[in-house]
Amino acid sequence: MIKNPFRNRTRATLAIIGIAIGIATIVALGMVTGGLQSSTQSTLKAGSAEITVTKIGSGNFGSSGGILDESLITDLKNTNGVKDTAGILRVNSNVSTPSGGSGFGSMGGFLVNGIDSSKLALVGIDSVNGTIFTNGSSNEIIIGKTVAQNLNKTVGSTIDIYGTEFEVTGIFESGNFIYDTGAFTSLSTLQNLTNNTGKVSYIQVKVNDNANASQVSKTIQDERPNDLSATTAVDQANRINQSLGMIDTASWAISLLAIVIGGVGVINTMIMSVFERTREIGVLKAVGWKDRRILGMILGESIILTLVAAVVGIILGIVAVEIIFKLFITSQSFEAVLTMDTLLKAFGVALLVGIVGGLYPAYRASRLAPTEALRYE
Amino acid sequence: MTEENVIEIHNLQKTYDKGKIKALNGIDLEIKKGEFISIMGPSGSGKSTLLNMIGALDRAEEGTIKVAGIDLMKTRDLSEFRSQEIGFVFQMHNLVPNLSVLENVEIPMYETRVKSEEMRRRALELLEAVGLKDKADKNPTKLSGGERQRVAIARALVNHPSIILADEPTGALDSKTGDVILNLLKSLHSKEQVTLVMVTHEPYVAEMADRILHVLDGKINNSS
Repeated sequence: MIKNPFRNRTRATLAIIGIAIGIATIVALGMVTGGLQSSTQSTLKAGSAEITVTKIGSGNFGSSGGILDESLITDLKNTNGVKDTAGILRVNSNVSTPSGGSGFGSMGGFLVNGIDSSKLALVGIDSVNGTIFTNGSSNEIIIGKTVAQNLNKTVGSTIDIYGTEFEVTGIFESGNFIYDTGAFTSLSTLQNLTNNTGKVSYIQVKVNDNANASQVSKTIQDERPNDLSATTAVDQANRINQSLGMIDTASWAISLLAIVIGGVGVINTMIMSVFERTREIGVLKAVGWKDRRILGMILGESIILTLVAAVVGIILGIVAVEIIFKLFITSQSFEAVLTMDTLLKAFGVALLVGIVGGLYPAYRASRLAPTEALRYE
Repeated sequence: MTEENVIEIHNLQKTYDKGKIKALNGIDLEIKKGEFISIMGPSGSGKSTLLNMIGALDRAEEGTIKVAGIDLMKTRDLSEFRSQEIGFVFQMHNLVPNLSVLENVEIPMYETRVKSEEMRRRALELLEAVGLKDKADKNPTKLSGGERQRVAIARALVNHPSIILADEPTGALDSKTGDVILNLLKSLHSKEQVTLVMVTHEPYVAEMADRILHVLDGKINNSS
């Protein structure tokens, strides 16, 4: 039974390629969704700020440069329900990274964030390997794990930012992919260095334990309707989850398509196989094989074919994602993750294609009249 | 059915093409246990149809047919009967090309409760009996016509059937190889004490049997 599906090599190979492409697409999409999921989960971290306040129209993640007045930090802190606030100035470092460094580097630079060192918890950084920077003009910086890896920096190394040498005092891992691919330094130092004195890019707001983040967010928004845009982390996560949901739906649609197309391919392959082996099936019946056993044999062959296709497809999908990430995803904002769910889905779809595609040919084989089958030339 | 008769057929009728072609037109036949019978007749006379009826590959429309004590008209699933009581040898050997010689002989035992070691032992024993033990692991496509037919004979005997049905077993072989096959069948028939029913159109082959049946227009014309 294991050898049978591969008797006609070309036909088996074509059928396997067809199903494998479908499976590969499912695996690739699954890996991307898995990666996005694991990165959004880590952005919602306990202890960090729940609300991000930006200038209206500047976007939620992309805001950089000094666009908000520093005085807002204290203003917002006085809003009802707010526990703490932190202003962050975000600029691009313009440090070119070594080319070929694990597939990222062509974009150049990473994001440098200026923040009051006592507010690091608000951005989810609660522990640092080394020490945190001191406020003032000490030219100290802490860098994200990903930056450290890619620039090959350790505690004590120096990094040149805007013509000034900064000493790396610590390396952090916040779990937030945006922060881990960036660095944090003293707000005032960065403001002076980039001519953004008194300015920040956005403000992180942490609400009181008993306050409702959405309510506070609304209050902030309502107080300065033409100026500020406030988004809660939950909102952001929901937005990401919505896009993830779309990818997930697309993935299911492709799975369905793979089942239909693969199923037709398998039906064709197996019917041809049964057709060619009519006489052989006649012999099996003549020597006493029950219809059930013949049905099982053909169905089994069909399933073996699709399971081989599943293995090929999974490998193909992983390789494709690796290649695409190497070529096109230049910032290491997130990694593709192959989850157990994706693997199970790939094998599940393959199994379904095997059963759906094998059932009719198997039924036909089992119903062959032995005398007719034996007469078949 | 008497103790001695392994096959009892009365007024067996079978038509094809919605009754237009009468393949069997009232066959009456009794075959004793251990007999060697040859069935002769021109092509289209119904001799192969008769063989298929005895082997339960096809069903008759009228009459009675009892083989090895089983009423073939009344039994629904005949696969077990075929597996236990009948061994087929076809004109074309009909071996499965991607299985080894040994595996081909083992095929009929898959429907039985025989353990795999016992299956192997039994298959090798029969391959030895047909002189092909040394080719057990070979692919049947590497074998000569006569060797393939010997494998088919080993396969037919593997479940200890009570009847061997051979449909022109030498029809595709040259006369010398054909003689080897016939002698093998005859010696196995006497050694295993199995009933042998053989369709042939060659008189000298038919004469090796205990009894010759002549079939014409779906009837047994005379027996000698």
